[in-house]
Amino acid sequence: MTSADTVPSDSRGIRPSAAAHATAIARRGLIITAIGLVGLAAMIVMVQLYTPTEARQGLAQKIFYLHAPTAWSTLLAFSLCGIAGGLYLWLRDPRLDVFAESSAEVGLVFAAMMLSTGPLWGKPIWGTFWQWEPRLTLTLLEVFLFIGYRALRGAIVDPSERARYSAIVGLLGLALVPFVHLSVYLFRTIHPQPIVLKPSAPSLPWDMLRTLFVSLAVFTVLYLGFVTARYGLGLLRGTRKADHAD
Amino acid sequence: MQTSVPANGGYMVAAYVIVSLIVLLYAWSLARRIHRELQDQ
Repeated sequence: MTSADTVPSDSRGIRPSAAAHATAIARRGLIITAIGLVGLAAMIVMVQLYTPTEARQGLAQKIFYLHAPTAWSTLLAFSLCGIAGGLYLWLRDPRLDVFAESSAEVGLVFAAMMLSTGPLWGKPIWGTFWQWEPRLTLTLLEVFLFIGYRALRGAIVDPSERARYSAIVGLLGLALVPFVHLSVYLFRTIHPQPIVLKPSAPSLPWDMLRTLFVSLAVFTVLYLGFVTARYGLGLLRGTRKADHAD
Repeated sequence: MQTSVPANGGYMVAAYVIVSLIVLLYAWSLARRIHRELQDQ
């Protein structure tokens, strides 16, 4: 089954071409990305002008509004990659494999942001860019696992074999996500514990919490835009390969 | 006693510049790849 076989009919019962369907998805993704970029600019203005500076940490604390949302988007992307991979193994729908590949790529982009903002926040607060402690080490392992996922995809030519093997690696990445999130509770670590995603009420003043929610929304929109556009691109590539195979 | 706020704005500026650059470059890369793919169709 190719992605061309799985294009649904529209409300009039007309079956649009697979390429047109994929183009529409890619364009929708780029529009959502543009909305996310406007949101990012607005969020930066909000952080700089309307969010108070934390007294003990100074301006470096404002890295928090980048670091926490990029970590959220990274783990969201890797989790959805694993879920899509698991669903692929069950349903064998190639669109799920295309989505998993897209989410893994986008997850690595957010991981690059998370891994650059973390050390820039750590240096002035902890006195060091990096610590080999559980949260940071597990996060790095998670990122390495998805770099391996990308390498594996590039190494296997047969599409169904590639989808099967990479789905298993994606599921392993999904299994690691709870350990990354809970590592601050499970092990002795210098990394702060969650201040929002925890059983009790968030431990931030409202001015800061509001900015955090805005930045979480912005990076979620950016994830949706990126992954939709990348998924459309994957479908477009699939239709071209299917056309060449005919 | 009033304590002074630490002067570490450079780290914040670096973080915001790096994240903005990564987001913009990836968005541009996606748009370029989609455009090229559409031309090859």
